[in-house]
Amino acid sequence: MAKLFERRLTPSDSPIAIFATTAAAFLTAMLVTAFLFLSYGASPFQAYFALFHEPFGTLRGFGYSLVRTSPLALIALGTIVSWRSGFSYLGFEGCFVIGASATAWLALLTAPGARIGPIPFFLFLPLAIFVGFVAAGLWAGLVGFVRARLGGNEVLISLMSNYVAIFILQYLVSGPMRAPGSLPETRILPRATWLPFILPGTRAHAGILIAIAAAALVWMLLEKMPLGYELIVTGFNAAAARYAGIDVGRRIMLAAFFAGGLGGLAGMVEELGSQHRLMDGINGGVGFVGIVVALLARLNPVAVIPTALLYGGMSVGADAMQRRASIPSSITFILQSLAVLLVLAFDALRYYKINFSVFSRGAPPTATEEASK
Amino acid sequence: MKHTLEMRNIVKRFPGVLANNNVNLTIQAGEIHALLGENGAGKSTLMQILYGFHSMDSGEILIDGETVRLGSPKDAIALGIGMVHQEFMLVRRFSVVENTVLGLREGNGPLLDLRRASEKLKDLSNRHGLALDPAAEVGLLPIGVQQRVEILKLLYRDARLLILDEPTAVLTPREKDQLFGVLRKLREDGRSVVLVTHKLAEIMEIADRVTVMRDGQVVATREIGSTNGQELTRLMVGREVNLRADKSAQKPGAAILQVEELRVRDETGHEKVRGLNLEVHAGEILGIAGVDGNGQSELAEAVMHLREIKSGRVILKGADVTRLSVALHRTLGISYVPADRRHVGSVTEMSVADNAILGLQRKYRRGIFRGIREARESARGLVARFGIRTGGIDFAAGKLSGGNLQKLILGREIMRGSAALVVEHPTRGLDVGAVEAVWGELLRARQEGKAILLISAELEELLNLADRIAVMFEGRIMGVVDAAGASVEEIGLMMAGITAPGAAAAGLGNKEAHRGETL
Repeated sequence: MAKLFERRLTPSDSPIAIFATTAAAFLTAMLVTAFLFLSYGASPFQAYFALFHEPFGTLRGFGYSLVRTSPLALIALGTIVSWRSGFSYLGFEGCFVIGASATAWLALLTAPGARIGPIPFFLFLPLAIFVGFVAAGLWAGLVGFVRARLGGNEVLISLMSNYVAIFILQYLVSGPMRAPGSLPETRILPRATWLPFILPGTRAHAGILIAIAAAALVWMLLEKMPLGYELIVTGFNAAAARYAGIDVGRRIMLAAFFAGGLGGLAGMVEELGSQHRLMDGINGGVGFVGIVVALLARLNPVAVIPTALLYGGMSVGADAMQRRASIPSSITFILQSLAVLLVLAFDALRYYKINFSVFSRGAPPTATEEASK
Repeated sequence: MKHTLEMRNIVKRFPGVLANNNVNLTIQAGEIHALLGENGAGKSTLMQILYGFHSMDSGEILIDGETVRLGSPKDAIALGIGMVHQEFMLVRRFSVVENTVLGLREGNGPLLDLRRASEKLKDLSNRHGLALDPAAEVGLLPIGVQQRVEILKLLYRDARLLILDEPTAVLTPREKDQLFGVLRKLREDGRSVVLVTHKLAEIMEIADRVTVMRDGQVVATREIGSTNGQELTRLMVGREVNLRADKSAQKPGAAILQVEELRVRDETGHEKVRGLNLEVHAGEILGIAGVDGNGQSELAEAVMHLREIKSGRVILKGADVTRLSVALHRTLGISYVPADRRHVGSVTEMSVADNAILGLQRKYRRGIFRGIREARESARGLVARFGIRTGGIDFAAGKLSGGNLQKLILGREIMRGSAALVVEHPTRGLDVGAVEAVWGELLRARQEGKAILLISAELEELLNLADRIAVMFEGRIMGVVDAAGASVEEIGLMMAGITAPGAAAAGLGNKEAHRGETL
């Protein structure tokens, strides 16, 4: 009997096959969403034009896309480090908030007349990176410690720790760091601490360069360094790691620290590049969307920047689409979610091939039938 | 003629393999039929088709000349076909009788009538000589008795044909004898038994006929009287094999690895190694014999400090290494080939090249980076030197056959140049060709002067490779014998916990005691 789906003898895992299935999934998601556009009486072509032209076809929109890309990419990188080490960390909202709070605190200290006072940007930036990274790294490292030394469940603990971090932020902006005025937010950060804008006429800031550098470092860590090898072995098989003389507990804590640190950098970049002040709600779900970006990039650090750019760009385009074609921007969310689901589902095509011959009459016999003759 | 089972022209294809290619098999009522073949020869697939676990692509199964349909194990049981799997399918927390009625509807309406089931079970066990207490909790019973529960489960369902998959793998020689007694009784009773195995001696001992499979096909079916072990081996492997390792005479050197008064607990807090002493010399293989679960794994892991040590010492080349880290054990010169090659000894998702440096990842480096080129070079050397059949060093290690994966792990552990080597069940589940290769490598390592601690449940392996054999029972060494003059009976008695010279004389009394304790 010919089957519609026939199992491949070996899964095709060439880069081309992976790219092709991902692209096919994306196109399918767009096709399905096109019908949603039709139900609003809008032309799918116009809608898609609006969706992609604004973020990638206009300078201003591209700048915004880059602004959205940087934190997404950094969180995706954190996800990659922790998940590939077998540490299912989900606390990036918290890391983002902790990183943003720590850098805001540092930046406000360098305001004229504050405790440290103005310092040159080339000194401030490494300091900010250090503070943002270490603060959030320790925050996540705590979860790593609980998992490695006390056997806690990192999924639950890290999810819950998000709320704790957000409450800390709310306390800071309504208490010790609150600026005089009605709103619970800090003063605007000193101009000298802002990340430089890199595209004239846009809001794009140097955060994207930090994200690119981080992607390169994560790639180097995982692919080229003994420590990365040990992290990956730990992630695949903790028993084999222990057997190989790898201190699994320490590696997990280290992975948690790196992951948290990258999440903290996302907060730092957003804070110093785009928000320029600390307030409640700056996280806005980026800690979870970043995980989705990592999944779409198949936990491959090289694919993170383009994936995050696509994802960030689409959310910029969604707003434009709503303005121009009066289509609710939430459709974009549907499109993004569909894309994720389909990319994961289309993976099956690397393991099964479709037998189109079953649709035609007098289908040729399959290999099995051939053999049984 | 009644209850003759016939499988005709069975074809089963899995992706990439023709597991059964036109297989024909006839099993008469009242015979013990052995099914012999290497791993991957298609024995298990054939039996799983017979048990309704796999569907066949084509072919026919007939009972007394009538075609039957086997869509699921339920159909098979209804037709009187039952199977005892290698891994027992028992609920450990349930009693014997509860396990027996599992899946049946025994009793009045919704209520379970365990008493009646117990009566029936007692009756069955008396009739077939399978001593058992229906109320005993299965998890607390010895392995051999658990196997009886599995057999009784089938008899309870009135199975006419019993398929036993590698039934002796986990048994002591004595338990094996008891099992064979039961099988003979079943045969007298007119029931049929299919014995899936690769142990020739057992086939010659108990089977009436034997069918040999190779590469998915039946090579031959023979009456036991008209064949011999050599012919069967040749049929099974397709060439002459000499499973006698030629061990050169060699004087052992200084003591390399010493274990003193070692005590180790398992996860549940039971003491599994209870004051154990041993000494392995350079150029010597010390074999550890014993039925699985008598503390062998815990001993191996404790030597590497992969497991917490309660008390005692592990000494390597005169230095106390008891509580040093695993990494330090490796650096100082102990290699370890674990029993579980797919879950401990290798990372199946990673490539052959990456697995070739497992445990050596800090050695192959350039500054802060991995020495990837050197590591790949060494992987290529390993593949060539140990004849590992692989699609290349970038091939996922999980796709290697058991034998090739074992060669990769063993090769890696040998090549790191340690003075001591701990090897656990190195040939478990391997086919004859791979066994030959692994044995050869172990003997070569011995010749190079390594001190080898070889843990195995296969007496044949130990008698062939080891210089001395220490028998382990319930966490202690019952005795150490020279492999050259060792008798299987003596070792077998020690494996069952019966020690001392003149054990044969005390055998009868002990037999009673043994039976009493399993009741």
